[in-house]
Amino acid sequence: MNPLIPSPDPLPLPGPASLFAVLLHLTLLVHLLFMNALFGGLVLALINVWRRRETGDVHDRLASAISKLIPTLFAGTVTFGVAPLLFMQVLYGDFFYTSSIIIAWPWLAVVGMLIVAYYTVYLNAFRKGWRRGGRLTVLAIATILVAATAFVFSNNLTLMLRPERWGELYFARPGGGSLNLGEITLWPRYLHMALGAVAVAGALLAVWSRSRRGDPELYFLALRQGTAVCGWTTMANVMIGLWFLFALPRPIRMLTMGDSIYATALFGVGFLLSLVMIAIAMRMNATDVARSPAPLAIVTLVMVAAMILLRDVVRGGYLADHLAATALPVSTQSLNLAIFGVLLAAGAATLVWLIRSLLGSRQG
Amino acid sequence: MNFPVWELEMGGGVLMAVVSVLHVFIAHFAIGGGLWLVVTEAKARRDNDAGMLDFVKSHSRVFLLLTLVFGAVSGVGIWFTAALISPATITVLVRAYVWGWAMEWVFFVVEIAAALVYWYGWDRLSARAHLITGWIYFVAAFMSLVVINGIVAFMLTPGGWLENQQFWTGFFNPTYWPSLAIRTCAALALAGLFTLLSASFIKDGGLRDRLVRHNAGWVLVSVILATACGYWYRAQFPGWSDAMLGAIPVLPTVGKLLRWSSAALIVLSLWPLIFPRRWHAVSATLLLAVALGAFGAGEWAREAGRKPYTIHGYLYSTGVRVGEQEEALAADGVLAHTKWADPDAIASGDPVRIGGELYRNWCVQCHTMDGYNGLRPYLRHWDETTIAGLLPRLGSMRALMPPWYGNESETAALAAYLADVGGGSAAGRFPTDDPGAAGELAWRISCGLCHTLDGYRPLRESLAGMSRDDLEELLDTLEEYTEQMPPYTAGETEREHLLDHLEKAAGGGAESTSPAERSAR
Repeated sequence: MNPLIPSPDPLPLPGPASLFAVLLHLTLLVHLLFMNALFGGLVLALINVWRRRETGDVHDRLASAISKLIPTLFAGTVTFGVAPLLFMQVLYGDFFYTSSIIIAWPWLAVVGMLIVAYYTVYLNAFRKGWRRGGRLTVLAIATILVAATAFVFSNNLTLMLRPERWGELYFARPGGGSLNLGEITLWPRYLHMALGAVAVAGALLAVWSRSRRGDPELYFLALRQGTAVCGWTTMANVMIGLWFLFALPRPIRMLTMGDSIYATALFGVGFLLSLVMIAIAMRMNATDVARSPAPLAIVTLVMVAAMILLRDVVRGGYLADHLAATALPVSTQSLNLAIFGVLLAAGAATLVWLIRSLLGSRQG
Repeated sequence: MNFPVWELEMGGGVLMAVVSVLHVFIAHFAIGGGLWLVVTEAKARRDNDAGMLDFVKSHSRVFLLLTLVFGAVSGVGIWFTAALISPATITVLVRAYVWGWAMEWVFFVVEIAAALVYWYGWDRLSARAHLITGWIYFVAAFMSLVVINGIVAFMLTPGGWLENQQFWTGFFNPTYWPSLAIRTCAALALAGLFTLLSASFIKDGGLRDRLVRHNAGWVLVSVILATACGYWYRAQFPGWSDAMLGAIPVLPTVGKLLRWSSAALIVLSLWPLIFPRRWHAVSATLLLAVALGAFGAGEWAREAGRKPYTIHGYLYSTGVRVGEQEEALAADGVLAHTKWADPDAIASGDPVRIGGELYRNWCVQCHTMDGYNGLRPYLRHWDETTIAGLLPRLGSMRALMPPWYGNESETAALAAYLADVGGGSAAGRFPTDDPGAAGELAWRISCGLCHTLDGYRPLRESLAGMSRDDLEELLDTLEEYTEQMPPYTAGETEREHLLDHLEKAAGGGAESTSPAERSAR
């Protein structure tokens, strides 16, 4: 075992590890949907500002509509990012804290980048009557900052899986100025996530277009653009996914190719779904008839969920040896778990009430 | 010992302080401001006061941009920073309190959603639904304080948790209630302070005067209450006494800052109360700056009060757990438990390089060379022998440091490194034109490390009446007094300066200690 891996803390886990894993996956699903909509939404807004010819034309209207949603997507991304970060630390804190310290400055810069990007998207949403150049600049700044944040996350989350690289990076720069650039899976993993985000945002745009059927011009633009972006980026992402797969160390890759039935099934489902997603998107794109976006929405959701589980398989593959060696004692805090469950249900009901009263009032 | 240490020149403590004070400032405003908004909105609606309602609406936008963006993301920032600076502490907090954090997260989600609906709902929701949304926001925001406060106070006063390690025992710890009370008052005060700023931009004179007066009252009452709660908190502070204050060198300063800034807030908020018309943005900003100072001092006192632990009585700031882990260190030496020492440096056998690794792993959590908790101002007056003599005594120093468990060769290596970077002994650097300052310095780098004259471990009374010869003899035989006392080995110049200083102390001032203090000793 790598001597640099922290010795586990003697305090028991306050609940079974599997419960934390479920909470991690569920909250990560919501976080990723928001994050995909945010990052992909910024890219879509950029495309439409770029293609706008005059104020008030259909691209301008679409760009404005997306821009108004982005701050809320940002809020959702941050808020629902906190929970998976917490539950991940329960399970993998020793690895995660270590890799964070090795890349301390870039990691901390995430906070600054997010604050600036967040204010930038509010500026973009609140301020009216901007010239094309100004809006392009503001959106580009936000997009770059969000993309850079994602890149630092990719660095940290790949480095935490590679204890054998820790020593070399840390002792070269104990001041925390490193990144995990030597990692062979870094770029395919990052690009896979980033392109996936744009594809999901495309699908969500197609879903959202239904709410704009009163404005056929806007409706068809959103539908066509959303499905086209979804289809084409998914095609490209299949290639990048294969690159990622073959960049993985052989034992981990083989998990998805027969060594583990679960992982192989997940991979198969993910692969098939990506083809289905492309087919549905292209079919919706090629017709003038309004179609229900429900199939696309469902496939997208299942796809993101499958990718989260596959991602977990990869992490498990990297850390299997280390985690098996340190089975942690568990002492479930049942009362607290129950309180959390009740609060979660009450919180969800409150959210539903809040959203319904806002959206209901718009129609009324 | 378990995690790598981030070698940060400014000092981890300073970074943590900057990030957390800014976050806590805005986060408290997010709570008090939420109450202010919904209460004032309800009043404006009741009174049919359109001007006031317009102000509440525009103020809620500033509120949203400040709390939702800076408040929320800087909260994540605290978490990032704390995990970078003290991963061992965060590990314990996650293990012991993950369900607390999870509960807090639910409130956080509701708080953010309610804030967004409150803002976007101004023109869409019915008055009733809008007010309900405002109340949902405030309750969720306050409840997140109710939860976080338990975990934050736990680090300072874990109380019975140390014995039973039960969630709720540590949660409702000795400083829980006073801390919650202070934070609630502070949140209300900040609501008034921020609104004083936005109100100062209002054009309509009548509305402006009403708002300024209203908010000044809000600030005045909250600050007076917060100050009262401060004394309640003090009473619950572990081992609080004014003598103990002297043990943590920074605390008296911080305490003074806290008292002065609270007093300043009370006095300054009288001004807008009496002369609302003369109020403007500059004075509002000044008042906010004073409040930020008070916040900084309060948080600093809480942080410093934990020394030498990050979780009082359980985890040292070096990441060592009290008890079993200490015994292991004492038995095996520290290098055997230092995961993150560069193997090349250790293999080199060079004491200075090995000492450098020890320094990074065991000192950098709290110290810098020239900045916060800087060591060089001391090191430049010490030689290797003096440092090696002090290291095993760290645990009994005045500055409340964790004990040093290095064995003889590890201690020698760390001393070699510190003497090397410190520049070695430099007796010539005593100020020549100011004998008082020279004496003070000679005291600070020797006796003053563990003693004060009149406060913590006081010496004045013991020195009273001693002649210079007596003092000379005292310095020559120090190590015979107690095991903890190191021999005095300073050079001639420094020794003369110290004798001057001690002679002065021996000659006067003994009467100034009160009988109560004398008997306490």
